[in-house]
Amino acid sequence: MIEILVFFIAASLLLYILLGGSDFGAGILELLPGGDLREARKKVINRAMGPVWEANHMWLILIVVILFVGFPRIFTTLMISLHLPFLALLVGIVVRGTVFTFRHYDAIQEPISQRAYTWLFGLSSLWSALWLGIIAASLTRGTIDPKATDVWQAYFAPWWGFYPLSVGLFVTCIFAFLASVFLIGETDDEALKKRFRRCAAGFNGSLVVSGGLVFATSFGEKPGLFRLFLKHPPAIAALVLATALFVVLWRFVSRRQVLLTRAAASGQVVLILCGWWVLYAPNAVITTDGPLSFYAQAAPAATLRPLVFALLVGSIFIFPSLAFLLRVFKSGDREEKMK
Amino acid sequence: MDDLTAARATMAFSLGFHIIFAAIGMTMPFLMSAAHYLYLKRGETIYLELTRMWMKGVAILFAVGAVSGTVLSFELGLLWPGFMAHAGPIIGMPFSWEGTAFFLEAVAIGLFLYGWKRMKPWVHWGTGLTVGISGFVSGIFVVAANSWMNAPQGFEWVEGAARNVDPVAAMFNRAWLHQTAHMQLAALQAVGFAVGGVHALLYLRGRAKELNLKALRIAMVFGAAAAIAQPLVGHFAGERVAELQPAKLAAIEGHFETGTHAPLTVGGIPDVETRTMKWGVELPGMLSVLAHRDPAAEVTGLDRFPREDWPPVLIVHLAFQLMVALGMLMALLGALFFWYRKKDRFPRWFLWSLAFATPLGMVAIEAGWIVTELGRQPWIIYGVMRTADAVTPVPGMVYHFFLFLILYLGLAAVTGWLFLRQIRITQRKFDEP
Repeated sequence: MIEILVFFIAASLLLYILLGGSDFGAGILELLPGGDLREARKKVINRAMGPVWEANHMWLILIVVILFVGFPRIFTTLMISLHLPFLALLVGIVVRGTVFTFRHYDAIQEPISQRAYTWLFGLSSLWSALWLGIIAASLTRGTIDPKATDVWQAYFAPWWGFYPLSVGLFVTCIFAFLASVFLIGETDDEALKKRFRRCAAGFNGSLVVSGGLVFATSFGEKPGLFRLFLKHPPAIAALVLATALFVVLWRFVSRRQVLLTRAAASGQVVLILCGWWVLYAPNAVITTDGPLSFYAQAAPAATLRPLVFALLVGSIFIFPSLAFLLRVFKSGDREEKMK
Repeated sequence: MDDLTAARATMAFSLGFHIIFAAIGMTMPFLMSAAHYLYLKRGETIYLELTRMWMKGVAILFAVGAVSGTVLSFELGLLWPGFMAHAGPIIGMPFSWEGTAFFLEAVAIGLFLYGWKRMKPWVHWGTGLTVGISGFVSGIFVVAANSWMNAPQGFEWVEGAARNVDPVAAMFNRAWLHQTAHMQLAALQAVGFAVGGVHALLYLRGRAKELNLKALRIAMVFGAAAAIAQPLVGHFAGERVAELQPAKLAAIEGHFETGTHAPLTVGGIPDVETRTMKWGVELPGMLSVLAHRDPAAEVTGLDRFPREDWPPVLIVHLAFQLMVALGMLMALLGALFFWYRKKDRFPRWFLWSLAFATPLGMVAIEAGWIVTELGRQPWIIYGVMRTADAVTPVPGMVYHFFLFLILYLGLAAVTGWLFLRQIRITQRKFDEP
């Protein structure tokens, strides 16, 4: 039971990073100067994200629901100790989701309001991505102190520091990289394709730098990610493989193999998540009182059984409908044929 | 503002904000599908224009509903960790089903909004209808979760913790049916009246008359039918509240003293200090009849409960009176709508009344939720856990409150502004022959 739930959390997290992350990344890309390609870029992003952003967003809600139903103590610990980062994330999610829709459906498309929407969409995407990374880092830092009475110790110290910020930057770079790679295949405009390729190359570089920064800043941490990392050969292997996949990915890019390029980028995310999992499994959160593991914190079986049942039955509905969504919007342009 | 008050204010405001968009998100697609159906069946392009116009509204309002709903799923933990630690595993089932239903809704809306030229017309129509159905179902699940807080079941409370959890019994608790029926009907009613009212106003102002009249007729069929059925469902809900939460019923009616042949007070201001009702019109024995179907039946008053277990009587009573008054008015307008629809002409005074009735359904929904939620106080889980014991230990909740107050008010302002722009553009297009 617990394993199935953890699998659903992991799968949802992966899909949220890949699909939702690309949406965040698209917003970040729109902050970059676009020159005369600005309008074309906006159009491609509108068309690629429009039909899917709400569904992509659901993976996060799924994680929240599984946590509060199946692992209530993990959920409440996070909601108390990481209250502020979650609040910051929520503000970002509210702004970016609504502004993206407003931009598309505003009946009067004048430059000034459109530019304002685009800026807000970009900034809130960047903001949310940063906080997601900060939250991710804070889970396993060992700084969450449920017994603290001091305001700083209880509500700021868990997420404050250079290390969470570096992870935030790293996550931001992942999202922007995914978006760039993903968008290459979404347009037929050669100039725009080239622009997205250059973005991907840029974020490839910044991923390596910010990844290094994550390791470097982890020396200031108590358990320290890097020292932990060196003790786990599978994690090292995962990172080496993920890095090696860059070479493969760029070959696919130059051969214009859209699906394989996307598969390579997804593979990298899978490997990074696996590496992370190897270091901390089966713990979801590490507090000053020790780890909160999925096994120890699970709700009674009477609760888990219907939850697993709901998720499995839900999958029967969700996955085919998602497949249909992708088929309708991603299998080339049917627009011409239907006319 | 102390932290508990700020947390409650935040929750009230977040829910009050979300419920409007949720109501629209789960019923407006039905209106849209009806117009779309008429277009596909009859091939009249005016229905296509109407469908597309409503669709744009649905897209904007759905996005606001989706993100404010996301906020709420976190707020449950951010504001009430003491509640979620115990309640999560017990009422998780409706939430996990709600997740599934909402997921389908999110997929379906993507298909519908962007799939006009990518699917066969009737398949595309089906995706629009799926938005409505899955939204409606997800609404039922969320309200079922709330109903458990009023009628907690499916667990044993032993030394401050839940034992022997039975999620199925918790979900199908004794309040789920009347609460979901009442709310889903209210959503149809409020959205029907809101949409119908806006189109009535535009019609009266002489804009795009044919389009607005057709729009009004579709919207009001839903609104009027729901409004006529609602008093019956509401009465059923009242009977259940009398049985399940006598303190809430007593607060609703300002009924201070337990007794047989209890009168129903229409209007009036309850005075908690003197434990009397002022300035109300008393209908002898009617409360006993309504609550227990017998004029001689005893109706429990607030005197049976310790003072610290009373809900805020004044506000619950006034909110209830407001809801019932608006409900009656809408039922009357609903009946008149069908009458004039049969005669196939709507007098101007009636259209003006509909225009004035635009916000009434939404106001009634807000008033109804004030009754439900404040009427349950001081409990978060009725009779089991107090709201004060569930609140987060995080200090400075007042900032949290103002943050969301500003964010949501800004969002509401922008949404309103977008609608005005949308209406202006569409109507201008139709005014030109």
